[in-house]
Amino acid sequence: MSIVSQAEQILDRVRAAGAEGDLIIDQGEALSLKAKDGALEEHKVTSSQVFGLRVIKDNRVGTAYSEAADGESLVALVDQALLNASYAAVEAHEKILANALKLETQDAQLSPIDQATVAEKIELALTIEARLAAKPMVKNVPYNGVQDSVGERRVYSTTGLEARSKARMMHCYAYALIESGDKNAMEGIGQAARRFVELDPDRLVDQAYQNTFDILQGAAIPSGKYDVIFDEEILPSLFNVFSMMFSGKSAKDGVNPMRDKLGEEIAGSKLTVRDLPLDTDGFGYALFDDEGTPAQALCLIKEGALSSLIHNSMTASYFNSVSTGHGTRGPRSTLGVGLHQLEIDAGTADDAALHAGAYLVVTDLTGLHSGANPISGEFSFGASGYLCRDGVRVQPVRGITVAGNFYELLKRIALIGSEQHWNWARSAKMPSIRFADLSVSG
Amino acid sequence: MLQVTKAEDVIDHGLSLGADFAELFVERSLTNAISTLSSQVQSVESGIDFGIGVRLVFGSKVLYGYTNKTEAEELKRIMGELAAMDLRDPRVSLQAFDYSAPVEHHPAHRILSADADVDSKVAYLMAADAAARASSNLISQTRGACRQKEQRIEIFNSEGLHTTDARNYVRATLTAIASDGQDQATGMWSDGGLLGWEIKEQVDPKKTGDEAARQALVNLGAKACPSGRMPVVIGNGFGGVIFHEACGHLLETTSVAKKASVFHDKMGEMIANEAVSAVDDGTMANEWGSINIDDEGMQTQNTQLIKDGRLTSFLVDRLGAEQTGFERTGSGRRESYKYAPASRMRNTFIEAGDAEFDDMISSIDRGIYAAQMGGGSVQPGTGEFNFAVTEGYYIENGKIQYPVKAATLISTGPAVLKEISMVGKDFSLACGMCGSVSGAVPTSVGQATLKVDEILVGGQA
Repeated sequence: MSIVSQAEQILDRVRAAGAEGDLIIDQGEALSLKAKDGALEEHKVTSSQVFGLRVIKDNRVGTAYSEAADGESLVALVDQALLNASYAAVEAHEKILANALKLETQDAQLSPIDQATVAEKIELALTIEARLAAKPMVKNVPYNGVQDSVGERRVYSTTGLEARSKARMMHCYAYALIESGDKNAMEGIGQAARRFVELDPDRLVDQAYQNTFDILQGAAIPSGKYDVIFDEEILPSLFNVFSMMFSGKSAKDGVNPMRDKLGEEIAGSKLTVRDLPLDTDGFGYALFDDEGTPAQALCLIKEGALSSLIHNSMTASYFNSVSTGHGTRGPRSTLGVGLHQLEIDAGTADDAALHAGAYLVVTDLTGLHSGANPISGEFSFGASGYLCRDGVRVQPVRGITVAGNFYELLKRIALIGSEQHWNWARSAKMPSIRFADLSVSG
Repeated sequence: MLQVTKAEDVIDHGLSLGADFAELFVERSLTNAISTLSSQVQSVESGIDFGIGVRLVFGSKVLYGYTNKTEAEELKRIMGELAAMDLRDPRVSLQAFDYSAPVEHHPAHRILSADADVDSKVAYLMAADAAARASSNLISQTRGACRQKEQRIEIFNSEGLHTTDARNYVRATLTAIASDGQDQATGMWSDGGLLGWEIKEQVDPKKTGDEAARQALVNLGAKACPSGRMPVVIGNGFGGVIFHEACGHLLETTSVAKKASVFHDKMGEMIANEAVSAVDDGTMANEWGSINIDDEGMQTQNTQLIKDGRLTSFLVDRLGAEQTGFERTGSGRRESYKYAPASRMRNTFIEAGDAEFDDMISSIDRGIYAAQMGGGSVQPGTGEFNFAVTEGYYIENGKIQYPVKAATLISTGPAVLKEISMVGKDFSLACGMCGSVSGAVPTSVGQATLKVDEILVGGQA
């Protein structure tokens, strides 16, 4: 039986029970390769499929999922979701959208047919490991790999929604372990592309090696307050950890500290933050959200003032607003909200101004989730990077912590660089930001 | 779950491609998750996970795949794609399956396939919620969660192994948020085990609510944490996460075999202060990290990792045994059929010592008492780790002075093992989820309260 027929049968059973519902079907195929000592250490081939159903009956919501696709399991899927709904509290704001849109992404653009063979991908994995292992002082390359994955999501509803998105991502990564005397260090980098030929192993190897070599002789610096620039990989991670500040869902739940601050100054006036889901250069591209609402650009912080939270249809209803197209729901999860791809507007500071005087460039943070409290904004992370002066690295830095309050840090933006950079996973595009007076312990 | 004749046919096919070893890992798991918010049921979710993991080994090369389908042709297709670059004449023959069921060391009674017990779980979470809110009017919000899982597995391999097992997990958690109108702070408490919902007879929702609220209120009034290198007393139970992250991961053959662990060549050497003895025990009855058999079908063991400071064993799975020459320890684990097994921890802890808590505190002029630890991470290659302190106090002149917030401890595994100078008597275990190459698996961490003579504390003061 086809996927479409299975979806119809599931939704017919939902209707027959006097309920409404929407169904997410995720399918995927992936190849994952890892190398060790000149041979393949992992060669993984997978295919997956999962059905995730949300039903609403008498204003009560229930969800269930099944990886088993036999008729009996899919009947149980519907019955279990209905049973779960019977236990839930009444939620007057959560509805299945009256949305009969037919939406479909362009496969030629997002999921191109790739002619690269498995043998070529294996060769790439072996090449990356061998070239990096051959560099001076490299003890081994403990983490490396090449992955090719295609994921397809379908969303159907009892109101007639039919949405389909499909995307391919190829990526490779490598981390080198370098030893010299009693010093050791491990750093790395990755690359992401839609086509195999866009991956550049030479650049990957050179960057991974340089990142590791440069930090090897790192040492702690005296405790104190430093101006800090988080590099293009770390800054998006930091915003991601505290992304709850934009969440309409957290605001509804009473745990978002920005809940009552719409229109207020929450950051330095140089900061403008947007979510741009329709930027096809990024891997966070989305034509529609998981409720089937068309995605759209949204300004979150405008010149330092909080201009919008992100909403799905439920949180929008609660706040008497409209969905911003940020509904998230996986086959195994309930309705939430989430950003697609965050972008920060370029500022006006040129390199000379941005890098004037003494400052710390942070290239790695550890404990990003365990060391942060998105409710209070407090954080304390292990860190490494470079102490710099007037654009020149003075010394590599390791074994320090950086600590502060993210929401206060947003108000201490000294300068914003004039050029945006994608992180390697192409999930966020941001300029360099210089924050003033961050506590460093060494 | 999979017909024996079909398993035989598929594994035989894998061997016909030239594999040295072939394995099928079949899983069907039921899950149920209840969440509460604002003293109401927020959601009840349930699901069926089903799939088959296929592992082929050619020499030192591991090939792995999985599918949700059960047809022999699909399983053979995956094997064919996996082995496409390694095809060769058959090396070994299939051994006839010899079915054996493991001895059940972790009986469970109120299991998910019989009844999800939703009403009873909701009542438990509401009682915990009420206790937290009754603690103080500063408790502004609570979140409750109760998650139960019934995992059924069946393993076949080309050496004739055929076995099955069932694992029943349940865990209940309450998070309390305290707010004074200006600041917010959180506290959390959870209980769990390798058993069914009969756990409710062993745990007290009032204690769960009280403890979550107490932590939140302590943190609400906490001052900025001092920073710098100083002695730290780490509390019992979940404080053991420091050993888990800083040392446990470095003793898994997953990193040892790659020489990506600083301990890979230290077997038999003193790697810790002689006050330290540590164990990874998969056999403890109904403990969160226990198993009957590992995910390669081997009966699990109690493994002494460090004795009086000396390294005595690694954690070894099948592949790790072949790569390192050490005996398997029943430590091959995986989150699900989606992962090849890897050497992983079970219930990992530093054994109790004889130091008194007051003696540890009074020995410190300026330091921190980390009463509750949060999560952390480690880089196995260098041993560098970080941990969050979720409930901490400043110590001065041998006395606990006031609560501190937002602190991180960072060091390296080898360094901190040598800095543990005193281990107390108040041993306890706590449950957590450990993420690594073979996914997130239930593990317990544990220790008695102990003193680390020097570690870098990252605070804001």
